[in-house]
Amino acid sequence: MDLPAVDYRKSRIEEPEELFKGLDSVTNSLIGRWRRRPSVLAELTAKAALVKEEAASLRLASARRLKEAREACRPWFRKSLDVPDDVLVRALAVAEEYSYRNLAIRPHLVQTVGALALFGGYLAEMATGEGKSLTAALAAVLFGWSGRPCHIVTVNDYLANRDAVEMRDFFHDCAVSAGCVTAAMDPAARRENYAYDVVYTTSKELLADFLRDRILMGRFSHPARRALLGLAGRPPGGFGRLVMRGIHTAVVDEADSVLIDEAVTPLIISRPGENRPLVDACRAACRIAGHLAAGSDYRIDLKYREIELTEAGRRRLRRLADDLPDFWRAYARRSELVEQALTAREFYHRGKQYVVRDGKVVIVDEFTGRLMENRTWSQGLHQAVEAKEGVDLTAPSETLARLSFQRFFRFFTRLCGMTGTAHEARGEFWDIYGLPVLRIPTNRPCVRQVEEDRVFATAEEKFAAIAADVKEISAAGRPVLVGTRSVAASERLSALLREQGIEHELLNAVNHAEEARIVAEAGGRGRVTIATNMAGRGTDIKLALGVPDLGGLHVIASERHESGRIDRQLFGRCARQGDPGSARAYISVEDELIRRFVPGIVREKLAAALAGEKKSAASLVRHAMSFSQGAAQRLAFRQRRSVLKMDTWLDDALSFAGRSEV
Amino acid sequence: MARTGKTFSESWHRVAQLRVGLRPNVRVRKQFFRGRQWYVLHDPFNNEFFRLRPEAYFFISRLRPDRTVEQVWHECMEKAPDDVPGQEDVIGLLAQLHFANLLYSRAATDSDKLFERYKKRKQRELQSKLMSIMFIRIPLFDPDRFLKKIMPLAEMLVGPVGAVLWLMVVLTAAKLVFDRFDEAVNQAQGVLAPGNLFWLYAALVFVKTLHEFGHAVVCRRYGGEVHTMGVMFLIFTPLPFVDATSSWAFRSHWHRTLVGAAGMLVEIFVASLAVFVWAKSGQGTVHSLAYNVMFIASVSTVLFNANPLLRFDGYYILSDLLDIPNLSSRSMNHLRHLAETRLFGCKDSTSPAETRREAVWFTVFGILSGIYRVVVFSGILLFVADKFLLAGLVMVVVCLISWVIVPLGRFLDYLGTSPKLARTRARAVAVSAGLALGTVLLLAVIPFPNRFRAPGIMEAENYLVVVNDGPGYVREVLVPSNTWVAAGTPLARMTNHELDLEIEAARAQLDEVTAMETKARSRAIADLEPIFKRRETIVQTLDELRAEKQALVVRAKKSGVWVCPRGGELPGAWLPRGTEIGEIVGDGDFRFSAVVAQDEAADLFVDTIRKAEVRIFGQGGDDIAVDALEIIPYQQERLPSAALGWFAGGEVAVSTSDGSGLKAAEPFFLIHGKLTPADGVLFVHGRSGKMRLTLPPKPLLFQLWHAFRQLLQRRYRI
Repeated sequence: MDLPAVDYRKSRIEEPEELFKGLDSVTNSLIGRWRRRPSVLAELTAKAALVKEEAASLRLASARRLKEAREACRPWFRKSLDVPDDVLVRALAVAEEYSYRNLAIRPHLVQTVGALALFGGYLAEMATGEGKSLTAALAAVLFGWSGRPCHIVTVNDYLANRDAVEMRDFFHDCAVSAGCVTAAMDPAARRENYAYDVVYTTSKELLADFLRDRILMGRFSHPARRALLGLAGRPPGGFGRLVMRGIHTAVVDEADSVLIDEAVTPLIISRPGENRPLVDACRAACRIAGHLAAGSDYRIDLKYREIELTEAGRRRLRRLADDLPDFWRAYARRSELVEQALTAREFYHRGKQYVVRDGKVVIVDEFTGRLMENRTWSQGLHQAVEAKEGVDLTAPSETLARLSFQRFFRFFTRLCGMTGTAHEARGEFWDIYGLPVLRIPTNRPCVRQVEEDRVFATAEEKFAAIAADVKEISAAGRPVLVGTRSVAASERLSALLREQGIEHELLNAVNHAEEARIVAEAGGRGRVTIATNMAGRGTDIKLALGVPDLGGLHVIASERHESGRIDRQLFGRCARQGDPGSARAYISVEDELIRRFVPGIVREKLAAALAGEKKSAASLVRHAMSFSQGAAQRLAFRQRRSVLKMDTWLDDALSFAGRSEV
Repeated sequence: MARTGKTFSESWHRVAQLRVGLRPNVRVRKQFFRGRQWYVLHDPFNNEFFRLRPEAYFFISRLRPDRTVEQVWHECMEKAPDDVPGQEDVIGLLAQLHFANLLYSRAATDSDKLFERYKKRKQRELQSKLMSIMFIRIPLFDPDRFLKKIMPLAEMLVGPVGAVLWLMVVLTAAKLVFDRFDEAVNQAQGVLAPGNLFWLYAALVFVKTLHEFGHAVVCRRYGGEVHTMGVMFLIFTPLPFVDATSSWAFRSHWHRTLVGAAGMLVEIFVASLAVFVWAKSGQGTVHSLAYNVMFIASVSTVLFNANPLLRFDGYYILSDLLDIPNLSSRSMNHLRHLAETRLFGCKDSTSPAETRREAVWFTVFGILSGIYRVVVFSGILLFVADKFLLAGLVMVVVCLISWVIVPLGRFLDYLGTSPKLARTRARAVAVSAGLALGTVLLLAVIPFPNRFRAPGIMEAENYLVVVNDGPGYVREVLVPSNTWVAAGTPLARMTNHELDLEIEAARAQLDEVTAMETKARSRAIADLEPIFKRRETIVQTLDELRAEKQALVVRAKKSGVWVCPRGGELPGAWLPRGTEIGEIVGDGDFRFSAVVAQDEAADLFVDTIRKAEVRIFGQGGDDIAVDALEIIPYQQERLPSAALGWFAGGEVAVSTSDGSGLKAAEPFFLIHGKLTPADGVLFVHGRSGKMRLTLPPKPLLFQLWHAFRQLLQRRYRI
């Protein structure tokens, strides 16, 4: 058995505060505002300047002296993460000096500010290409010295591995051990790597290992309970197989995508199960759905992605219900089932939400275009889609443990993160995670030109205009990156460009194996790349020689997103690190976002006004778009918040079942 | 329970492997509400109740610690495929049962969460106690053992024997009261006299204690356990209470009704006994005590306990008779549902009403009780504020917080964040804002007619008060009232014996002086001078007395209509000099003099009066137009007629120190208006009436605020 303190940490988690209500929430948001007040940046910059001074004094220090300085700082962090300012400054200076000696990089001032922000528990908004890896590593050294588990959460396995390898010597010299955990590792390797001071991994692996450990702990996850059992001479079994040391600190890279965009998707640990009644029923429901027609039998609610049966539909369903197994004949059951089948038919389209591969339905991430193998939709829906496609129905697996990232990251004692775009969601970061957002300026001033959105009445006109603009700009030698919202849109645009004889690369689900190569070449002279928005995130587009003189990369957003944050991420692909570049979004009245949030009559009027070439029409459409975007963001936030509330409620309600997940 | 949840739940794994069951001490009873079957779970340890639909009970009853929830669910699915609750419903059901502490689980529970919940519950209890500061309950003791002891007696009394006994006593008492009804009513006026308040309160506590025991005994009689008795501070007045909620589990709603009614039955019985004592005793403490008991036990019972709109016995009885439990809260929910569907266009709002009839009841009850509550509470507030200004202010603040600010905050929170409104939030906000704006417009912007009334009397423009010039007894009134008289017509004759005697005395003196003069002329010529002087004085006095004698016949000084309202009672009366006997009303126009209190007069000087009308008492609906309105711009203290003062039944407060009843307690302003002749209205000098003054229209809010300030001013002089 481990030392009591170590054992304690294995399963200890920070009990997150309940979400605030009413006046409390107003107060809390005021506190949040105070925490991210502009003067914080000035304070941190001043501190970073001190670090620079201190680091300069260490430049000529011998290896021994540097080591002594390091050893003088370390115990402070071991004791507590609330170290005195002078110790913090000296410690960071030491780490920076080691960075120079090992990696030959002297961190910029903004990186030091970033490291300080991370250490202070902020969410640092830093543009991509500003050296976030090193920033995280600097902070991780300080966290690593504390001896408490520190996880650096990266976007994918590749980055986790790359950073861990690149930084290994640096960490070693800083007297911090570092490792990485990737999907391919077996439990033994995982256990070995998790034992290091600093662990690079992805959010998925981290949460999955956390859940698996929890399953092993069973009912003895509470440290006190376990200690009591140990005292009683019956130490619970299964503990030898735990892989993690527990959770304490997390530095989350691309925090907005982890903590917001993918936050509510739960990670599920499951084992194959069987659910005969569901499988049979889904087939029958699919047949029945075939007899129902949109409009007369059911209505489609685009905004909420819902199906509602009409009176006529209900009557028809009553007659058709005999086709269903007994269990599903009752009114509420059959409606639920058939509505699900209709949902599968109306909202889930092959090529957009999923593809069929080897007789299996594989989910496509709508944003990245990535195939999500082994991911399934909720019980029933997945089977309904399978039934629609006529492939073999997979029995839904039996859930053993299930936790959303949102809840998981609230369990950390010290959470901090970095991302290029956080400002738009600063309220949510504070509200849910208690993370104040701090905007850190770029090292070199940004010269990106974001041009005014171009507005069109129809999608067709829009795509034609995009194609024309692509042709013109690429002819001038500038590389063009076109971001699309869905795989389908990227293919549509690709076809259009092919028609016009414009050479281009297409980056989406189908050929994501070549992702890295395509992204690396996207900065070439006159190059045209079409990519789903999130594809290749985290990789820089390097401009070829001479391209900056032509004006750099031009980014075209073929549609706006639910969140302005994601638009900004796309625009952030150009004009990095002081390079020139420009970006522009194209919107049309037929865009899905406008369709969802702006009533039909208003849309018609807008389209008519555009056709009539009224001057104010374009700005009206822009307003409609920003309204829709705002509405979508608020809706999404409320949904995420209510998921969290629901989860918390459930935990409370099922407390008689013991702690199940956490 | 309505089956709305999904068949499969993502959280099913949390409960699938659990082995749970109902706690062994939970009792289950079948009940019928509105013809629908329910199962009521009751835990006698903590008196928690839970109501289940048969489908849910079908599932819950099969839960046993030796089987997992999943096994039970599958078993139910095979046995009754139509009725199995979905997985989501099962989770909800288990959670609710757990919250009600009715569930037994073999797994070690999450004790942290349990403690947290306990803490939260305590907090909530404290909060609700603070919020309902006007109804705090403090439990004191457990009457169960005592009740058990008296059970044999109770069993006898709660039944036909008791009913017959009750009826006999109550009917006899009713007859007694009926016979001495006047006396009973007269005595009621003294009930709220300060000296009686203590006895009244003593009687109240006595009667209410018996009342509560009534509930307890009947409840125990039908098997319900009663464990809490204590003191409730109803508007800071300590009163007894008993917790008879265990009667909710009674299967028969007649039993439940009887428990609810028991308190009142006991009170009426006690009132009847008190009637006997009252009737048989003479004046004294016992007599008045008996009367107090009688008064409390009957009047308060009828006014408060039997009233279903307040949450006292009447409410529970109504709820049991209608077979609608939780009538009040469900009514509120129903009203909310109505607002949500009708106003906000929310589709997934469900009404708590299960049938149409219930829906109607909810609507009616909800609206009535809402209005009634506002009225009663404002009444209580005003009453308390009237008696104790500081306590009143504190209460106003507390009430403002708990009934206005907190609900408003909740409503805003609901508008902004309720997931129910997610789809129609824009409409809900628009409608609410519209309604709020409408209310504000209605109150603060749209002008409403602004009128006020002032009492006054009709006066002939030229009239003469007839007074007697000398004191005397009235012998006769010579001219009947309301007759036209010419100037100089004798109106009344008076006699004054003293005057006659004085004249005689003066004459005798004159004779004496004459004799003295004769004597002086003959004897002492030098004395003549003083004697002449004296004679002159006496002659003068005599002339004056004669004039006074002349004045004893009161004459009309000008021609007109002689009005003498007191004509009948005058003869034989002694009138000091200058008493008003009547009036001579000349021909010509009439005017109306209205009396306007100081605080209202401010408006008169600021705003122009749009229109003024006069309505004469007894003249029905005919309004007389008034023109040439004239405000006398200085304060007056003497009323134009005593008829306007309190002493003569008018509404203007008059000074008690002044016997005439003409001196107003507070200075006022006079308004004169010329009355235009109208058909069918007899203009009679001195008729009282009211003048209605129409000011320029003003929004209601300002009018109310004005009235409120006047109220404060009048009551507290702030």
